[in-house]
Amino acid sequence: MQKYEKLEKIGEGTYGTVFKAKNRETHEIVALKRVRLDDDDEGVPSSALREICLLKELKHKNIVRLYDVLHSEKKLTLVFEHCDQDLKKYFDSLNDEIDLDVVKSFMYQLLRGLAFCHSHNVLHRDLKPQNLLINKNGELKLADFGLARAFGIPVKCYSAEVVTLWYRPPDVLFGAKLYTTSIDMWSAGCIFAELANSGRPLFPGSDVDDQLKRIFKLLGTPNEDTWPGVTQLPDYKPLPVYQPSLGLAQVVPRLPARGRDLLARLLTCNPALRMPADDAMAHAYFHDLNPSVKNDRC
Amino acid sequence: MAPTRLASKPIGVNENLNGILSHGITTRSKQLATLKSYKDSLKAPNKRKADSPAKDMTAKRAAFGDITNAFNKSSANNDKDKGMALKKVTVESKMLPIVKNIKNQTATLNGKTSKTKQLQKAANNALESVQKHFAKDPPKPVATRAQNGILKNVERKSFGKENQNNSRGSAKSTRSDMSGDPSLYMTALENISPNDATKEECKVISEKLDKVNLDDSVNRSLDEETETPHKAPEGVVDFDKENWTDPFQVSNYAMDIFNYLKSRERLFVIDDYLQRMKGITSWMRALLVDWMVEVQESFELNHETLYLAVKLVDLYLTKSSRIQPEKDQLTKEELQLLGASALFIASKFDERIPPLVDDFLYICDGAYSLNQLLKMEMNILKVIDFDLGVPLSYRFLRRYARCARVSMPTLTLARFVLEQCLLEYPLVGERDSKMAAAALYIALRMKSLGGWTPTLQYYTGYTLKDILPVAILQNAALHKKPKSAISTVRNKYSHTIFFEVAKVSLVDDSVLNS
Repeated sequence: MQKYEKLEKIGEGTYGTVFKAKNRETHEIVALKRVRLDDDDEGVPSSALREICLLKELKHKNIVRLYDVLHSEKKLTLVFEHCDQDLKKYFDSLNDEIDLDVVKSFMYQLLRGLAFCHSHNVLHRDLKPQNLLINKNGELKLADFGLARAFGIPVKCYSAEVVTLWYRPPDVLFGAKLYTTSIDMWSAGCIFAELANSGRPLFPGSDVDDQLKRIFKLLGTPNEDTWPGVTQLPDYKPLPVYQPSLGLAQVVPRLPARGRDLLARLLTCNPALRMPADDAMAHAYFHDLNPSVKNDRC
Repeated sequence: MAPTRLASKPIGVNENLNGILSHGITTRSKQLATLKSYKDSLKAPNKRKADSPAKDMTAKRAAFGDITNAFNKSSANNDKDKGMALKKVTVESKMLPIVKNIKNQTATLNGKTSKTKQLQKAANNALESVQKHFAKDPPKPVATRAQNGILKNVERKSFGKENQNNSRGSAKSTRSDMSGDPSLYMTALENISPNDATKEECKVISEKLDKVNLDDSVNRSLDEETETPHKAPEGVVDFDKENWTDPFQVSNYAMDIFNYLKSRERLFVIDDYLQRMKGITSWMRALLVDWMVEVQESFELNHETLYLAVKLVDLYLTKSSRIQPEKDQLTKEELQLLGASALFIASKFDERIPPLVDDFLYICDGAYSLNQLLKMEMNILKVIDFDLGVPLSYRFLRRYARCARVSMPTLTLARFVLEQCLLEYPLVGERDSKMAAAALYIALRMKSLGGWTPTLQYYTGYTLKDILPVAILQNAALHKKPKSAISTVRNKYSHTIFFEVAKVSLVDDSVLNS
């Protein structure tokens, strides 16, 4: 790896170690993700294959840029743009409550990145604060496309084992294999609430049952009336009947009414009714968004 | 052993191959099928070929159900299907092996044993057919290493897909004997949303949504951008708008996505690469693609995987023949390695549970080593610069057929045209969207369903004049005298589960021109 000088280890991705490194010529700081290729293995891991291919296509301000792929006998090295921290670390670094304008800006950028993915045929399927990168300019970028995939229209069956538990939508928790862009919109809703609460996760469940109960305690337990077809889902199980607590104001006290309205539209159990990213960007909550964020189209 | 079934086979063998090839498809009830069609081939080999066997159809189709990707039904439906299958089976003892399978499946839903057996069978079948296909010599016993490898690896594979696949697939095919329920075919052929439950679900959801939209009208009026961004012109059915409430159609993004895919076609141009290559002919390519279709069936891969893999082969040969000196060019002995590696990559990109590397070595009958396959994988990825987002004719066709609201049999006929044309070297350079549009046009003409409509023109972006030259080439391919060495697609689409569309009468070019 002559071209880059390794500086420090940043973390572990879905399938490889991530280093901070410097381009020896341009002195540009990059992130290197190393994928080991063992002889007795399955060749290039499918997660790496998909991440490389999808990120090569998705060139957008709110999606982490893949600059290059270097290959040697034993490994692949993915060269990414470097961001200073992820949203999780950003939360940890906060001393006080988060600025509500920052919440709005981050949320808008998250939705814009997602709308770009979705209109380019890609589901992310692992949205969570750790996978959202933040740079010094307050820009937010979707990263870690190791679980992402291209989807067909109409959608086909995909794996139900996607999305980190806390950010997994109720339909997928019930084993739905037929899902679409709405899968990412639920995660976006969870992240929205977490942003508004300065990093306190909304539904920190311990297992699938606990996760579902936490969700339904807030939003009410769905039934065939509120969500036709829910009882037909592969892993559906009857859970205690909770009435919807009108508690969004209590759950995200700092979020204004319009923000709560948007949140409610994202956190909709029935995936068919969940708001898509492009609609969410047009929501009234963003009407007073700082124009420099809004007009900053890629 | 050199992977060359590239030499043509003796004619007598070919006739019998018909029966044997169909076993490549068979993943369940293999013995039954083998026995049955062996008998048939003894009785009347020519007849079997001529009017695709009605007799052993049960066995075949039972197996056939498995190859489709129809595993998206809910467990509730599953149970229903099982019930029906069981009932049916008491009538038809032929189906017994399949029922056993279903029982096994349910009994060991959480165990891997049955899955292992299933896959073992699938692998054996694949091997069997491939041996017949590629080997100059008669089929040999499987290499021990490969066998062990497969079995071990097979166990490692996740079993969820198979379980659903098996019980459902076989149950479904049983059912298809008795009903003409179109939703059945949808699931069998399509693996998209409209399994019965979901369809119903969608309908109810749509109704609900209408209400919700009304309720929201005040709020919505705030947002100007929620309107359909793309407006269909006068006289054109606005498919996306009509389907706006069906989430599985992704209507709000569909137009963007297909415009985007179309715009990317220019990035994947395939040229007349064979003229730069020594020792590889269009006939060899056709044999390779025929084999790849067979692997797709045997491993129950998505059609997208097949189409992508064929693209990878053509893209690799286009690009590598430009940059590599002649002496480094792919030899005909390596052609199958290229095809297997392309399928390996495409599976990892598209499949929920891709077959393992050993499975791909296995279907090549040990002609290549693990090292060779992994090297070829990396080689392909480098040459195509890791860009697997190739716009595929198969995807365009799904879209166009839906926008035109054609029936499943017509869509299936168009698929047959498209798949048959995968083998056609003269068509490799055509744009995938155009190939899809032309195939659909031919299917419409073959079914006497009229010509090119404003709706089709709008959604494909092509006029009849644009697609006619391609349609004529495709039609010529259909009119070619069938060759048994490359009969997989034709056989596949001769099954009733594919509406026997391969038997639909062809039309003359004059009909296309009218």
